[in-house]
Amino acid sequence: MSEERRRTEVADVDRSLYDFTKSEEGYERYDDGLTPEIVRAISAKKDEPEWMLEMRLRALDLYHAREMAPNWGPSIAGLDLDHISTYVSPKTKQAKSWDDVPEDIKDTFERLGIPEAERESLAGVGAQYDSEIVYHNMREEVAEQGVIYTTIEDALHDPKWEPVVHEYFGTLIPPTDHKFAALHYAVWSGGSFVYVPAGVTLPYPLQSYFRLNAAGAGQFEHTLIIVEPGADLHFIEGCSAPKYYEANLHAGAVELFVKDGARLRYSTIENWSKNMYNLNTKRATIGADAKMEWVSGSFGSHVSYLYPTTIMVGDRGTCEFTGITFAGATQDLDTGCKVIMNGADTTASVSTKSISKDGGVNTFRSSVVIGRHADRARCSVSCQSLMLDDISRSDTIPAMDVRNATAQVGHEATIGRISDDTVLYLMSRGCSEAEARTLVVNGFANPVSKELPMEYAVEMNNLIKLEMEGAIG
Amino acid sequence: MAEKNGALAADAAGAASEITLERVNVAPAQTWNRLRTNDITLTVPARSRKGDVYFSLPRLFEGVECGMGREVSDWVESQAADARYVEVPRGERREEPIVVAVGAGDVADTGVMVRAGAEVTIVVAAGAGEKDGEAGTSASLLRIIAEAGARVHLHEYAAVGAAQQHLESVGISAARDARVDVHQYLLGGGTVALGFACDLAGERARVDLGCRYHAAGTEVLDINEVVRQRGRKTRSELSYNGVLEDAAHKGLRTTIDLIHGAKGAQGNEAETVLVLGDDVVNKTLPTILCDEDDVAGNHGATIGSVSPEQLAYLADRGLSREDAEQLFVRALYEDALMHAPCDEACAVVEAGAVQKGQALLHTEEA
Repeated sequence: MSEERRRTEVADVDRSLYDFTKSEEGYERYDDGLTPEIVRAISAKKDEPEWMLEMRLRALDLYHAREMAPNWGPSIAGLDLDHISTYVSPKTKQAKSWDDVPEDIKDTFERLGIPEAERESLAGVGAQYDSEIVYHNMREEVAEQGVIYTTIEDALHDPKWEPVVHEYFGTLIPPTDHKFAALHYAVWSGGSFVYVPAGVTLPYPLQSYFRLNAAGAGQFEHTLIIVEPGADLHFIEGCSAPKYYEANLHAGAVELFVKDGARLRYSTIENWSKNMYNLNTKRATIGADAKMEWVSGSFGSHVSYLYPTTIMVGDRGTCEFTGITFAGATQDLDTGCKVIMNGADTTASVSTKSISKDGGVNTFRSSVVIGRHADRARCSVSCQSLMLDDISRSDTIPAMDVRNATAQVGHEATIGRISDDTVLYLMSRGCSEAEARTLVVNGFANPVSKELPMEYAVEMNNLIKLEMEGAIG
Repeated sequence: MAEKNGALAADAAGAASEITLERVNVAPAQTWNRLRTNDITLTVPARSRKGDVYFSLPRLFEGVECGMGREVSDWVESQAADARYVEVPRGERREEPIVVAVGAGDVADTGVMVRAGAEVTIVVAAGAGEKDGEAGTSASLLRIIAEAGARVHLHEYAAVGAAQQHLESVGISAARDARVDVHQYLLGGGTVALGFACDLAGERARVDLGCRYHAAGTEVLDINEVVRQRGRKTRSELSYNGVLEDAAHKGLRTTIDLIHGAKGAQGNEAETVLVLGDDVVNKTLPTILCDEDDVAGNHGATIGSVSPEQLAYLADRGLSREDAEQLFVRALYEDALMHAPCDEACAVVEAGAVQKGQALLHTEEA
């Protein structure tokens, strides 16, 4: 065998599907920067209740007062809020039919395959374009079961749902959580409100798709989902943006309340462009006998801080996290998850994969905290990282804090490249070397893609586009 | 009593001022500060050394990274009476171990140069002070340079008093084909903070580290271990095995750093923790940093109590749950005693066993 093992060539993510722009002509765009006047203007435009404006202004103060932790995480030095517009809105009203959506925006979502997916396999769709939802619809039979799927703004204007939003909004991810949580609450716009009544099972998923078209802008959507006892929901979130040379910012928040005996699967395919700072916060709290499933694919953005968190409050709850991250050139993706187990007999399983290529930096960061009362809690964490060249980087930083003598925690992490032995084995069974390496890399990503609905698995495979080449150097 | 070259005896009449070493024993890559797992903050005595002449180690040792960090090294150098320098000549196998023994109030600064092809055993034995239950801070700073093909056997034994605080910072630089094996037995004390850093700088350099620990009561054990794999085909094998009882608090940070250019390097780390107390705090941060593709880094951890299967097996042989659990603790002390390379290390284990109420077979037979 040669002194230095040969390297697999793997193509970068194919971004052509997502990398197209539309004119902003006629759009309403607030000045760059972050001032109380801008915050008031966003609130006034949405005709919000007074409590929401007060919350926004408090959050603005918190944002200015808080600092990023100096001792960990990728640099966000290129992010300057003085060069970010926090509110950009197309001149259109929210539509319930794609025919009522302006042509250029409709064309955008058609190219992304959203209307087609809605027709074929979704119970409802929300489509956000820059700061506002432009399309929202749900199948009648789902609505008849009492399911609510609307925007946060519409829920706030509904006397029945405004108190519910007031009760839950900002309680799981408080504005004090971190600097960009505070920013989110100051300028949030768009997103989804989902309420699934007790015992209701949705036969198809709901999907929200977030498209940031504007250059030098931020997207701050808020997703609030309440799954009542015994209910079952699959929610899909997709996001993309064209590439610009100006920095864009995504600082969304996702708050998920999964009540006793309920199940929620939250799937995300994130494909922001490589000028995006993705500082997103996602958190779920689950009750007794409830189940939370995260499926997360992170492919885009320049810098990501993304750690979906599950707080297991009730006994016998279950949490599964399955994630894959692909970091290519110029990307520094700090992703992972957090699990806080406070209930007895709770079970958590974390399985992540990462692929680093062309100088991309992957950091898997996790924390598992098992509280004093989590008797017989079980947790397993598995993290596998694949290095595809010697200019990339892959770090794993998993923290565990166990405070219960009856808990069992297992953790394993591996970092490496494609094993020559594996390739040799497959070649001995008739594969060419290129086919063998393709099989290995596809197999590496497969545990994640198999968790996605078929069309999203295909999208993920398109994203990765692992084109193996025979000539390897 | 062991030789105490370079150790500073407790100075009862010395100035009682203290300083705080903020955020020391820090891992190279950190994580969420709210987890309080990145570091430890310690308050240590700061006796004035004004007017003293300090005979420091050769400048070469300044380049050796130590586990507890620069701030602790500076503090030790400011508190130790002298540094002790030992050189093992080229190709020589030194039979007599180099022993660094510290008790409450002692501070030692030691540098060992192991020339090419030489072999040496080094023992750090940190025990309680002369008086039972003596409070105070003990510390050892040990820097080792292992030249090409050198063999270093490092034994670290710590069982300090319940009111005592012990800081132990080790730094090793290993050249081509150098091999280092490390045997750590951390058997408790008020606060024991251990930092270990090993730079596998040369091709095929290797470190094998086995750490066994026991903490009970309200003892605090803070460990930060870093292996930098810089050379090609370097190898690290790190193994941790511990028992935590009562309200013991343990923080373990391990880092395998696979540096760019370390082609063919392998780093493996495994930890098994037995948690026996309802108020135990057990924090672990096992990190792998990888800046090279032609490497393999693996980590595995198992944290839990004695399994029902093990308990059933032992119950069949007449052991109650408590007996079975204590069997694991006693086995740890027996193992420490069995592998103790010198009288000073034996004394530390035996004193630690007495402090924890463990009757050792070795002692019983005696």
